[in-house]
Parts: sequence; structure tokens; C-alpha cells
Amino acid sequence: MYPHLDVFRPTDYLKPSNIREAVELLARYGNSAFPIAGGTDLLVEKDPKIKVLIDLTDLGLNYIQSSSEGMAIGAATTMSEIGASPALRVGPYLMLAEATQEIGTPQIRNMATLGGNICRPSPAADTAPPLLALEAFVKIAGPNGYRDLEIEQFFKGVNQDALQPGEIVTEIRISNLPKRTGTAFIKKGRVAAGDLSIVSVAVCVSLDHGNLCSKVRIALGAVAPTPLRAREAESLLVGKVPQRNLLTQVAQKVSEEIRPISDLRASAEYRRTLSRVLVERALNEALSRIV
Amino acid sequence: MQNILLKVNGVSYPVDVTPYDTLARVLREKLGFTEVKIGCENGECGSCTVLVDGKAIVSCLMLAAKADGSEITTSRGLVKDGKLHVLQEKFIEHDAIQCGYCTPGMLMSAKALLDMKPHPTEEEIRRAISGNICRCTGYQQIVEAIAAAAAEIESSP
Repeated sequence: MYPHLDVFRPTDYLKPSNIREAVELLARYGNSAFPIAGGTDLLVEKDPKIKVLIDLTDLGLNYIQSSSEGMAIGAATTMSEIGASPALRVGPYLMLAEATQEIGTPQIRNMATLGGNICRPSPAADTAPPLLALEAFVKIAGPNGYRDLEIEQFFKGVNQDALQPGEIVTEIRISNLPKRTGTAFIKKGRVAAGDLSIVSVAVCVSLDHGNLCSKVRIALGAVAPTPLRAREAESLLVGKVPQRNLLTQVAQKVSEEIRPISDLRASAEYRRTLSRVLVERALNEALSRIV
Repeated sequence: MQNILLKVNGVSYPVDVTPYDTLARVLREKLGFTEVKIGCENGECGSCTVLVDGKAIVSCLMLAAKADGSEITTSRGLVKDGKLHVLQEKFIEHDAIQCGYCTPGMLMSAKALLDMKPHPTEEEIRRAISGNICRCTGYQQIVEAIAAAAAEIESSP
């Protein structure tokens, strides 16, 4: 009756010093425990069920490592750090770096983390479409050790992810992509800063030596219960020369494939139209970046 | 309650906090740094912006316990030896202050920008304060003040 009287009053603030300890604490306290990385959603939502806060700062999960296999980003790396990283401002990773700079405000970007963005699995999480289009892997630590999950398997529904009790995301991994690959990310909100996406689009296109599309990945946010891949649209382009009229058809297919809702930000109809426009724009941008 | 240590404007303060005390509340209500303004308390308005280890953050969304051991700078900390920081002087000169409520947060976002990019473009200035809302809508003067401060820092020896 008086929901405001049921207030956010956690009783403990714990700061484990390694991953094993963090996982044990999360498992021990179950539903009453909540992990904090950036913490930016925690104090907006102020869920009264949360009694034990588990600070993940000291787990050593703040890093960006490139290797011969690809890129590994620690889950506690902030949006600002990703956006400013020279290693991520090149090649196919560029769109991920760009997407992080479209999130929230400068202050929020200094706090919010990559792991946090996907573990608060809003349909509008802006790093989700780039990670889907890059076919990232999520490394998860839990009471039974580590497991790897394709990012597409991670998003289960509105604000639902694949994490089991006691599990945390420790790392996001992106495998190397073919040399002739271009990517692009476009987000539209109602205003330029600090707003959730009406639609966000990430595309990743690889060309073979005959200039045919060898790999096409198109991912969108805020147009379905989870961030999603538009696979039917992708398949229209694979093996083809990316000509202008074909890109228009692909974009049209995307607008048919998505499942948007009407809410306070936009109508479903507007989201379909906007998706079509942004996908075509993003495909052109990605293709123009292939050297 | 747990005891944490906050270094604010160069001085260390041990302080007892609950797990749900925000940094903004602790700075204002337990340590008396009332220049840290609380507006929306939702991370949207930026009036509570302070620097934590050199980075601009909204202190209403940071738990004080998370800031344990950090170095914090508020707008008061911009004053050195009784002399206003050039950003503060330029805000006054350019009438970049109307009601003044957003000013401490604006100053800290501007400081973070100039620390990282001493010669920002107008676009970069506007982006840097995109997380600070001025309800008097005096943005033009604020942008001019920050640009003037950058120019003065550049020309000083």
C-alpha cells in the first residue's frame, strides 16, 4: 500500500578481494545480495530486497588486453576507459568504443562498466548491439568455476540474463575478424545526451576478395524484449555484392523482423521506420570503413 | 556502520557511514561540503558532480563506502591559497551563474575536461557539460566561460 515506506536499507557492504570470494558471498546471501561494479543503476532502482552489497572493485577486472586471438575486456572496465582506449578505437572494435560514448553522461560513463551494462539486461543497453554484432563471448565465474557463453545466449528477456545464482560476468571476449571488415554503430534517443535509445543499430560486414559479403551481422537494441540479431536480413546480404538497392532491401527486412513496442519514447511504428533508416545508414558507414 | 577514509580537497577525513549512504550525502551532511548540491538524486542533473581520483562522477550515485580511500575534489578545492581558480573567475566574468545551483557541478565537469584536454573545441566543451543541467538555461555563458578559462590557462606562463 505504501511502497515508498519499503526502503532501500542494505545492512552490509562487503568488498571481496578475489573472484572466488565474491562468488562465495553471492552464493551465500542469494537473493538478498547484489553485486556493485559502477553502481549507477543500483541507486536509481533502490531495490528494497537488497540487503548485502558486494563491491567488485578489487577483483582485478579492469583491463583491456589484445592478443593474437582477439580482444579481452575485463567486466569492470568503464565506458570512458573503453571509449578512450587506443586498442579499441581501431578496426572492427571502433563501433564498441563509439557506442560507449553514447551512453548516459560523461559522469555516468566514468562509473558505469561494460559488465554492468550487459548484466542490467535492458533491451536498450547500448553496448549489447555492438557485442552481438561482434559475436562476443561472455566469461562467467560461478560456484562451479568458469563457463563461456555466446553473448546472444546471455540475454533472456526484459531485464533477464542467463546468470545463475552466485554467478558474475568477469570478461567479454571478441575474436579476431577478417581483415576486410567494417563496423558501425548508430543510436537515436530523444535528446543527444543522457537518454535511453529509441533504436540503436550495430552492423559488422566483411568482404571477400571478390567484394562479396562474406560475413554480415546486424544487431539492434530497444526494438524487442532483448537486444537481437536480424538474421533473416543478414542472410539476404551474404554472398552478394553490397549494392545500394540490396542494402535498402536488407534494411526493409530488418524493420519487418524486429518486434518493437510503443512506449513513452516512441511508437512501435516509428521504431520500425527508424530501424530501416538507421540500418541502411549503418551498413553504408560500415562498408565505407573497409580498407 | 563502517569507518572509511575520504581525502577531500587534500585533507583526510575518517567518517562513519552506512552501506546506503551516498557520497553526496556524506560530503554534505557529515563533512559539511555543502557546495556539493543535490538536485535530482538520480544521476541525471549533475549538480552533485565531484572529482573522484581525478574523474568527474555524480556523487549521488556513488556509495560512500565505494569511495573509501579515494581522493575527492569539490568546487571548494579549486581555490588555492585564497585565490579563485581561473574557471571560477571566468564564470563570474562571463555571467555564467544565474541561480548558481548547477555551478559547483558545472565547474567540476569543466575542470575534468581541462585536465584532460587543455584546448577543447566548443563541441568538446558542450559534450563535457552534457551531464550537467542548468535550469536557468544559461549554457551559452557557461560555454564561453570555459573557453575563456582554457584560453587563459594556455596563455599563462
